[in-house]
Amino acid sequence: MDNKECIITVELGTNGVRVMAFTLNGEVIASMKGSYPTFHTEPDYSEQDPEQIFITMLYVLKNLLTERVHPKHYHVVSMCFSASMHSVLSIDRNGEPLGNVITWADNRGKKEALDLKNSPFGKKIYDATGTPIHPMSPLIKIAWMSRNDNERFGNTYKFLSIKSYILQQLTGEYVQDYSLASATGLLNIHNRSWEPEALSFAGIKADALPDVIPVFASPGKLRKEYQKSLGLPENLRILIGSSDGCLATLGGGVWEEGKATITIEDSGAMRTVGKVVIRDEKQRFFNYLLTENYYISGGPTNNGGVVFEWFTKQFGDFKGPFDIDYAMENFMREAATVSAGSEGLIFLPYLLGERAPIWNANARGSYFGINIKHEKQHFVRATIEGILYEVYSIGKILEEHRRIDTLTVNGSFASTPLFAQMISDIFNKPVNTGTNPDSIARGAYLLSAIDLGVFKNLDDAARSIDLPLSFRPHLHNHVAYQKYFPIFDRLSMKLYDEFEAIATLQHEQYINVT
Amino acid sequence: MNQFALQQGHSRELDMFSHIVEFTLAKNSTIQLESFPVTTSENFRIYYVIDGKFEWIINQKHYVLYPGDLAVILPGVELGGSHRYLDIGTFIKLEFRVAQLDGSNGINLGEWSNLTESERVTVGRILLINNMSVLKTKEAGDVLYEMRSEVLNQEIGYLTRVNVLLDTLLIIIARQSTRQANSRRDFPGTFAMLEQALRKNLAHQWTVEEMAAHVGLGTTAFTEKVKTYTGFSPLNYLINIRISESIKLLKKADINVTQIALETGFYSSQHFSTTFKKLTGYTPGDFRKRNTPIKSS
Repeated sequence: MDNKECIITVELGTNGVRVMAFTLNGEVIASMKGSYPTFHTEPDYSEQDPEQIFITMLYVLKNLLTERVHPKHYHVVSMCFSASMHSVLSIDRNGEPLGNVITWADNRGKKEALDLKNSPFGKKIYDATGTPIHPMSPLIKIAWMSRNDNERFGNTYKFLSIKSYILQQLTGEYVQDYSLASATGLLNIHNRSWEPEALSFAGIKADALPDVIPVFASPGKLRKEYQKSLGLPENLRILIGSSDGCLATLGGGVWEEGKATITIEDSGAMRTVGKVVIRDEKQRFFNYLLTENYYISGGPTNNGGVVFEWFTKQFGDFKGPFDIDYAMENFMREAATVSAGSEGLIFLPYLLGERAPIWNANARGSYFGINIKHEKQHFVRATIEGILYEVYSIGKILEEHRRIDTLTVNGSFASTPLFAQMISDIFNKPVNTGTNPDSIARGAYLLSAIDLGVFKNLDDAARSIDLPLSFRPHLHNHVAYQKYFPIFDRLSMKLYDEFEAIATLQHEQYINVT
Repeated sequence: MNQFALQQGHSRELDMFSHIVEFTLAKNSTIQLESFPVTTSENFRIYYVIDGKFEWIINQKHYVLYPGDLAVILPGVELGGSHRYLDIGTFIKLEFRVAQLDGSNGINLGEWSNLTESERVTVGRILLINNMSVLKTKEAGDVLYEMRSEVLNQEIGYLTRVNVLLDTLLIIIARQSTRQANSRRDFPGTFAMLEQALRKNLAHQWTVEEMAAHVGLGTTAFTEKVKTYTGFSPLNYLINIRISESIKLLKKADINVTQIALETGFYSSQHFSTTFKKLTGYTPGDFRKRNTPIKSS
């Protein structure tokens, strides 16, 4: 039975870590997760404890191996890593973290982002790096630190991502993959080297960043102590892997022209793959590298499932304490009783400000068009439609750059059947739902499998993903949505001044949402 | 209901309950200036409004109390009328001594209580953490009425029952304050508050019961929720935090391993060592050695 080989994927996500085991053919052997908290010590701050992330990862990995992998006599041959984008962790010369990891959701660099965006360098840096000028990007975070936190900035030996830190703990090397590096706003995605003007805006030199290696490269061998405590072989191949966004696209099987993927969990994104970057005059889209000849392009939204959850918490019927699932299911049933377009009730979902396509941190939510006949269920449906109109507004502009014939949805919100059907109707396109509940881990598995020779290349690997066609658009619903969407779109732009005015007032009362 | 006024030292009904300082039902029918200035007391004070409307300052905040409201005044907290007088209306007042007020560990109720040691600690801690001044609970009113008849009628068993009712009252207050302090809709938010409490006092030997009480759930429901939300049992989640904190301390050279063990809530350096090695493959000492010298690149 020596032939039972397996691949482990480690996914360092926004809320927690998921570790999965796959056979070489891609069957799931086991999956475990563990979560860690996000701290908001000040308005706009969003941080996590690097040691807690490391320990949680180790704990989950160990449990999965000892409970589910070793007992079945699987031999682990490869381990591939994925992580959320845009995290920054300062470490000193001894490798000791200086404070917590700053996550993608952190907005402390609002001012620095605005300064850069309005400067002549902004457009140039965006064109070179493919990362929108926004507080989410490490470029802006490091720039913030250089201007506002001299002590930490001065003592920093390297600016890592959380994945670089975890891999350094496991192997001893400071490395970063091209793919995650391309989301820092510091890497030139055309020549794959650090962009001098971006470095200079951040106030650092290239040696303050980890070495950059391809996604198929290995950061090195697992330290002896971990080999022993985890029961892993010395010749285990560790792959550095990529980012959650790129891997979700690969793992979602979206790998050729005419396809796009919509991922919605708490937040969301719509992505396409191409061999050329999207050059958007208004800088609305990201272009991240997976490998040298593949770019993942698209737009992110802040307001996904988190908005529906907010609505449910406020207005849902709770059977028992904290039983939000029950309340959400009830709402879905209620929403299904209302016709497409919510009889003229429109919801702007910008509770957390918004990124693509309006890139307006001051945007706020609003119900529009309420009349005396609207009942609770109309609000429920309008809320869901608003979240999906927002994604549609990304898709409409994306279509100016890329042909999109079919959509693949993933993420817990988007893959809910009711919502997937609504996406199909709004876009008027067929929707596939992947059979893989976790496309990020699937993407990481594919990288390992290609590395082991199971697949020839990325195209070959992506073709292995089974994509059953699940939803076809209903034309009469699409027609209804087409009547309301232009109003949604215009309101989102028209309210610019009012968004700013209300955000300013809210900010004065320390109600900081973004 | 008839008025009554029992005072320790004056009313023989309270002789057997030395911790109860005052137990009265007061009907106030006229306004007397300066009748209720802001004062503090070392005792625990509870007021339950039966009728009328009272405007009070509690802990420097203004409150309007209506029938069914319960004002909970922790030892050392300020209380008085918003206009320094007592408004017209009827209320029950219960004032009792607590054994001690310990800054981090909450309120120690004292020997009269029949709660278990850990329940006593938890109830005391929750009261202090939530620090809710006004609760909406008719249930508390019923308990106070029952206490009144026990104290006044002195039927067989009353010595036990009065203290049991006082315990009951405190449990109601603790539970209700947790319910009012968090929405019971937002588990992530509530769990974040618990996490904060755990980190603030990591050296404490937290029990699942205590953690569950903070969230306002029973231990079974709590354990299940935490498992679904975090992937870990509550105690394993706590170990995660303990080890993560210990790693940070190990990276600082000026604190010894035994001290780290105790500060992060392990019983002993042995317990710390075993847990740490099991998880990380290193003993704390080896881990420290590995991390101190700079690695050349």
